[in-house]
Amino acid sequence: MNQTVVSYLAQYEFFDFLVNLFGKNQSLLSFLIYLIFALLIVGMCATIGGLGTYAERKISADIQARIGPNRVGPYGLLQFLADGVKMIVKEDVMPFSADKMLFYLAPILCLVGVFATLAVLPFAGGFIMTDLNVGIFYLVAISSLVGVGVFLGGYASNSKWSMLGGMRGASQIISYEIPVTISILAITLLAGGMGFGTIVGSQGGLPHQWFLLHNPFAFIAFFVYFVGALAETNRAPFDLPEAESELVSGYHTEYTGMRFGFFALAEYIEVFVVCGVAAALFLGGYNIPGLKLDLLPLQAVQFTVFMTKTLALYYVVIWVRWTFPRLRVDQLMSICWKYLTPISIFNLVGCAIWMVAFNGKSIADIIFGGH
Amino acid sequence: MLPAQFDGLMPVVIFMALAILLFVGGHFLSVLLAPKKPSLLKSTPYECGEQPVGSAWSMFNVRFYVVGLIFIIFDVESVLMFPVASIFKELNQMGQGTYALLIFLSFISVLIEGIAYCWRKGDLDWVKSFQASLKKETK
Amino acid sequence: MFLQFLFIASAFLTLACTIAVLVTKNLMHSCVFLLGTLIGVAGLYATLGADFVAVTQIMVYMGGVVILMLFAVMLTGGKDFVSRAQTLLGLPATMGNKWTYGLGLLVGVVFLLTNVKLLSNIITTLPTAEINNDFPSTVSRLGHLLVKDHVLAFEISSVLLLGALVGAAIIARPRKHN
Repeated sequence: MNQTVVSYLAQYEFFDFLVNLFGKNQSLLSFLIYLIFALLIVGMCATIGGLGTYAERKISADIQARIGPNRVGPYGLLQFLADGVKMIVKEDVMPFSADKMLFYLAPILCLVGVFATLAVLPFAGGFIMTDLNVGIFYLVAISSLVGVGVFLGGYASNSKWSMLGGMRGASQIISYEIPVTISILAITLLAGGMGFGTIVGSQGGLPHQWFLLHNPFAFIAFFVYFVGALAETNRAPFDLPEAESELVSGYHTEYTGMRFGFFALAEYIEVFVVCGVAAALFLGGYNIPGLKLDLLPLQAVQFTVFMTKTLALYYVVIWVRWTFPRLRVDQLMSICWKYLTPISIFNLVGCAIWMVAFNGKSIADIIFGGH
Repeated sequence: MLPAQFDGLMPVVIFMALAILLFVGGHFLSVLLAPKKPSLLKSTPYECGEQPVGSAWSMFNVRFYVVGLIFIIFDVESVLMFPVASIFKELNQMGQGTYALLIFLSFISVLIEGIAYCWRKGDLDWVKSFQASLKKETK
Repeated sequence: MFLQFLFIASAFLTLACTIAVLVTKNLMHSCVFLLGTLIGVAGLYATLGADFVAVTQIMVYMGGVVILMLFAVMLTGGKDFVSRAQTLLGLPATMGNKWTYGLGLLVGVVFLLTNVKLLSNIITTLPTAEINNDFPSTVSRLGHLLVKDHVLAFEISSVLLLGALVGAAIIARPRKHN
């Protein structure tokens, strides 16, 4: 039986009270609890996605010695709201030769693929919406919907730029899924399970207990994962599907107004999810140093720890975007198939051998004699 | 007390439904608020200001298809490795680590053979294999 | 209650999308409806407790096969292959004539009857009390089976995949024209 928010809350006494309040109708109660948490998480992630656009512009301004948005709200913080309002009131233009059904469907697929991953993201101990036994595998699988969405967005527009961007996007996303999946396999091997609860639970709060520093192979796997994740989210230097200097705007050239906004929102939330997964898999997730308790007041701290790690990685993602030049298509493919995939397979083999040779101990355990 | 029934699939469905609802809601708002002045020029596909020439739905290079094919093979291999990887630790603690490692490595070695073959034959190159084959043809 | 609802919804999604795949005349739309069918099948697996198989279905079919099909359609140019000629039931002529439909119907009936015969035992004797919403992990069981009982199948499948990879690479390689 897998852990969910409801099963976590059920161990407290006020849950009985709630059950009685709902006339013993636990299906309805659990549905409501899930819905409330889902709305909270979606609201939070939408805000983070919005603030992501603000951070992107502000950090790029910093890097390029500009000021960046500073008019709307304090420090320009409300810029994303202004952008959102602007997107809603923009006219919705669709090319006359477009495939109408697919034109509507493409942003939905992107959004569904990204939102469905939020269900397994471990924000704090016990507050994983649903800790599926196949957690990380499910996350990798469902986020491949984004690839289909990107392709269909490019196809449906019936514009040459969009079509090229969509083809490139889909082939890039599926290619980089391989090194990412194999790096995740290495972590599955170390953790002994695919559920996020298991993976985060088998790490500790201090850096030497993280899977990042578990063994040298896991250390490399983190970088393979991170590079692959950058490419999967179409972020620079892998933003070939939307390379503005060659493809205008790639697969969303013909998208205007709200539908373009949903593509952008999906992309920014996906970056957040990818960073969250990196934090959970390699950087110890929500673990507080020295404490291994999932009690109610402590979860605020756990949540803060998780968000700090995730947002730090988010910063790195933006930093990378404004530092490195874009790759060429053939370079992109050769990096994936000739460098990242062999390296990730090597890491997987290395992790398997390490597990058997050192009986699952990490470097710190071997040096300081833990466990 | 633990509830008699709760299911881990519900949040997944809820999140998917929320995504669709968000799209429908945002679209509805935009229909209400946005101006609607369609014209033929506005709805031509963007082609740098020129009149679009032909349809964008043209034949694409086979290399995308090759990438897709290779991807599926590796995808299936990683899918098969996931259950074994997730019990690897357990097997290791039960003292069957070497046996599991042997099985795992022999599985991966075939995978490595596959990637080595594709690499050697130039299927992993984005441009080269086509240029090389063209060169052979011209010779 | 929720699982039953999800099961029925998945079944309807599967059926509706399958019919849509058959009757739609646009090849690209067919591919997208096929995506819906595969999601529905994944939903069926998930509600039946086969979580790993469900996610595999999503990973391999939705993330891989559908994209491959979309690429394959783009190889042909992606224009809608609308065939004007129509046969009985308003279905496109490319789907076959009355003999193929007749044969298909016969095979379908035989298949249905066989399945009913095979499944009738199981359906009637399934204890209803055991259907609960517990979600036991199939992953570790699957792993143990792959490593112990079916280790040969596991190893041979990698050879099979190697063969598929080599075959795919050879077929897709540009031909020499001479």
